[in-house]
Amino acid sequence: MTSTSQPLIRLEGIQKVFYTDEVETHALSEVHLEVQRGEYVAIAGPSGCGKTTLLSLLGLLDTPTGGEYWLDGKPVAQLSPAERARIRNLEIGFIFQAFNLIGDLTVYENVELPLTYRGMAPAERKQRVMSALEKVGMSHRVKHYPAQLSGGQQQRVAVARAVAGEPLILLADEPTGNLDSTNGEAVMHLLQELHRGGATICMVTHDSRYERHADRAIHLFDGRMVGDRALELVPA
Amino acid sequence: MSAVLGNIKLAFRHLLKSPFVTGVAIASLALGIGANAAIFSLIDQMLLKRLPVPAPAELVNFKAPGPNPGSQSCSNIGDCREVFSYPMFLDLQREQTVFTDIALHVGFGANISAQGRTMSADGLMVSGSYFPVLGIAPSLGRLIGPDDAKVKGDGRVAVLAYEYWRGALGADPAVVGKNIIVNGQSLEIIGVAPRGFQGTTLGLQPKLWVPVTLREQMNPGWTGFEKRRSYWAYLFARLKPGVTLEQASASINTQYSAIIQNVEVPLQQGMSDKTMAEFKAKQLVLAPGALGQSSARGEVTTPLAMLFGITLLVLLIACANISNLLLARGAARSGEMAVRLALGGSRRQLVSQLLTESLLLGVLGGLAGLGVAILTLKGISAILPQQATSTFVPHLDMTVIGFTAALAILTAVLFGLFPALHATRPDLISSIREQGGQPSGGRAAARWRTALATAQIGLALALLASAGLFTRSLANISRLDLGVKVDSVITFGVSPELNGYAPGRSHLFFQRLEDDLAATPGVASVSAAMVGLIAGNNWGNDVGVEGFPKGPDVDDNSRFNMVGPGYFATVGIPVLAGREFTRYDAIGTPKVAVVNQAFAKKFKLGANPVGKRMDQGNDSLDIEIIGLVQDAKYSDVKDEIPPLFFTPYMQDSMVGALSYYVKTTGDPKAMLPVVSRVVSGLDENLPVEQLRTMPEQIRDNVFLDRFVTLFATTFALLATLLAAIGLYGVLAYTVAQRTREIGVRMALGAGPAQVRSMVLVQVGKMILVGGAIGLVAAVVIGRVAQSLLFQMEGSNPSVLAISALVLGLVALGAGLAPAIRASRLDPVRALRYE
Ligand SMILES: Nc1ncnc2c1ncn2[C@@H]1O[C@H](COP(=O)(O)OP(=O)(O)O)[C@@H](O)[C@H]1O
Ligand SMILES: [Mg+2]
Repeated sequence: MTSTSQPLIRLEGIQKVFYTDEVETHALSEVHLEVQRGEYVAIAGPSGCGKTTLLSLLGLLDTPTGGEYWLDGKPVAQLSPAERARIRNLEIGFIFQAFNLIGDLTVYENVELPLTYRGMAPAERKQRVMSALEKVGMSHRVKHYPAQLSGGQQQRVAVARAVAGEPLILLADEPTGNLDSTNGEAVMHLLQELHRGGATICMVTHDSRYERHADRAIHLFDGRMVGDRALELVPA
Repeated sequence: MSAVLGNIKLAFRHLLKSPFVTGVAIASLALGIGANAAIFSLIDQMLLKRLPVPAPAELVNFKAPGPNPGSQSCSNIGDCREVFSYPMFLDLQREQTVFTDIALHVGFGANISAQGRTMSADGLMVSGSYFPVLGIAPSLGRLIGPDDAKVKGDGRVAVLAYEYWRGALGADPAVVGKNIIVNGQSLEIIGVAPRGFQGTTLGLQPKLWVPVTLREQMNPGWTGFEKRRSYWAYLFARLKPGVTLEQASASINTQYSAIIQNVEVPLQQGMSDKTMAEFKAKQLVLAPGALGQSSARGEVTTPLAMLFGITLLVLLIACANISNLLLARGAARSGEMAVRLALGGSRRQLVSQLLTESLLLGVLGGLAGLGVAILTLKGISAILPQQATSTFVPHLDMTVIGFTAALAILTAVLFGLFPALHATRPDLISSIREQGGQPSGGRAAARWRTALATAQIGLALALLASAGLFTRSLANISRLDLGVKVDSVITFGVSPELNGYAPGRSHLFFQRLEDDLAATPGVASVSAAMVGLIAGNNWGNDVGVEGFPKGPDVDDNSRFNMVGPGYFATVGIPVLAGREFTRYDAIGTPKVAVVNQAFAKKFKLGANPVGKRMDQGNDSLDIEIIGLVQDAKYSDVKDEIPPLFFTPYMQDSMVGALSYYVKTTGDPKAMLPVVSRVVSGLDENLPVEQLRTMPEQIRDNVFLDRFVTLFATTFALLATLLAAIGLYGVLAYTVAQRTREIGVRMALGAGPAQVRSMVLVQVGKMILVGGAIGLVAAVVIGRVAQSLLFQMEGSNPSVLAISALVLGLVALGAGLAPAIRASRLDPVRALRYE
């Protein structure tokens, strides 16, 4: 797969060091990475190798201690917290292992939340929320609270929340980690459908079974990229 | 038993685990409980304490509402509906059948000379039945009995107060049988009253008791034993065993009515039909007398109830804080609780263990509260006016300690019960399993926390508003134009007549004192008055005024004062027309008077009353009005300025006691000892009474307002602080609990401002709801406090608005730190937060 335009994501010499109690943890070192529009990248590696850290940097939740990051051609490493929040809101959709729906809000309100932060008009919000929930097959549960849903259903709502704002890129951190295999497969299918629809996805997984859903797999070890290979497309 | 000990040990261990939090909890409890104990101590001393006599419930006080035509003299024993004439007392005493006896008492100013020193003090004149009715026994010698007070002039004896005998006379048992000089009269000391017995009136602590038959000797110039139209004696009695108040009232009123109809009605002259009908219908009212007889009781009831309410609210706010604290701690321990429940511990055992912890907090808070109470009482006594300091002794007795203990236990249950029940709720184990081991605070707990913090905001607002009302009221008072200029004036009193000076000698003494003071460096001018200026005293007289028609029921009463030369200049009252008195307005010269504007208006004297004539009720128009002065306050700062006329004291040979006014050129405080020395230089045995500056005297005159304002403000600020701490705690806890949620919101694109406003919106809702509650409460408090407010409404909108604004800002301030902390959370960490 090649792309003629500039990459959506470009990391150069990214480094992340955590300083805690005089201990330096080199969570990421010398990471170079380019992700093109429409790519589906799996990030794999053993526990503690830096996958979540890499995803946090990609999602502008965290800032690197070294290196450069261009998102959609713009350098983003030095932005203020408010500017980074705005980019997260507009360009990035997160899916977490622990679903992280907000317990006090209904399914509808959870999905609506990122749109509210944009100051989007209610009518447009409603239309986007409903279409996102339809995509994940949860539009019949809008009034439910997360506690009233199964894990698989919760994760589908979380996916709807991530895509409702039509972000440039979806970041998923072990989205099946808390699910049984049936529900896990269902969520993976959902991601794949989104990918087919044109979404760019970076997904962390430590389950090699799920790697095959992606176009490309990146392997991390001890904070360094040790592998980057294209994968065969699996038939739907 | 050992389970209880085990619980206590465990509770101690838990409290010591977080010493800072425990310390804050105990300190706020101590402030709350201590303030309550202090106010309760005042309430107990002033409103609840029964007389230290046998069966006080059998005592009844006498009242006779209705017209008292003639002269009345009332004091701090009771108001003017409670005074009787001496002949009426004797009649009732002779004819009654339902009481063991009826007692008479009346206070007097006593100059007591003993062991070469003279002091001015309160004394009490009593009937021979006084001590028998009270039923108390002397601690030494004997008490005044019926034989000591038979005929006027009789019974030259005195009984000393135990505390006076102990303090001033060194508890010398040999004093019995010796003589003591009281108001120039040598009296035999016959005994000492029982310890702790200080008469039956708040604020009137007699140093000694003398038979009422000596009144003419004790009050030189007074006559009134035979006059049925002279009302001055306070009466109380003891019910015979088995007689109820109603029976006694019915019985005594038959005799009372007969005396009124047969003896007193024929004596009345010039009464309108209406007044006569009221006079004939007069009834004796018997009131329970177990607490004694005091006019102060009525005056302090509302303020004390008010202050008690304030301190209770402060305590409630403190309780809310601790309740929230325990709730948070319970959440942190829910794992432990779940394990205990899972291991088969009964809920009762767990609740009792948690309540033990609360009780321990309560007991420690209560103990520290006793310290706070004694400090508060000391503070109160420090700002008490001069006259009251002898009455009020800050101390904690068993009643107050018992009250404190009960309060501590009650508050412990109040703040501990919900957290204990919540921490041991039966669904705890399952809820923990569901959350994957992550304990949740629970919706009920969150609601409780928010409700408590909201209530705190409401209560604090109510207290702030009440403090605002009192402050505003005090400001109204201090803005009053008193009509005098006394910033650098010193005042004091001397009573040579009470030291045995004959009237002529008193006058000579006054002249020399004025001369000596005037010659003292630092003194600008000196004058004197018989009725002290703004000192709470009222003297009145019926007057005749040229051109003012008299008639039945025409109010021709005016307030009255006798003053010295240069009085108006010294106290800064402008003379509007004519002149003020000089040394030449003395005995033997034509009688003259000066009137104020209110007098000229009431008696329709026109713009210039100078040259008109008046009299003091004998229809002779024998006094010429020679001056008109501007209106100035007379008896009390807060009273309307009454019609008032002045005569020169030098034209009245009977004046034997005066209040002095010394205008100084420099700091008046520095001159106080100098003035005292000048008086001693003339007669070292003459006590200098009430020596102080006029500004002090004026402050003392509005003491109650200042006290209530100071107290209300202090506690409102304390309440606001506690509420702010509580609000901060709740928000900080909520933010900590919602850390992960905040992380999620940040990941979804919430910027710092949005996270901040999320917390502040929560604060805002609490402020709105709490504020509404507080405003309603403030209006209620305002209505209760109305009688204490001066020239303003209890629902003053600007006070309410300002209080609401202040509290809103404080609450927002308390919420700001948690809000900022939330917005600065690191989203990566927040998302990992368990
Ligand atoms: N906030 C942090 N502070 C200190 N060390 C951290 C922090 N976050 C991650 N780490 C460390 O960085 C390394 C990589 O962590 P992470 O990216 O979570 O690994 P993975 O997701 O691959 O399991 C680990 O050693 C982890 O302990
Ligand atoms: Mg991870």
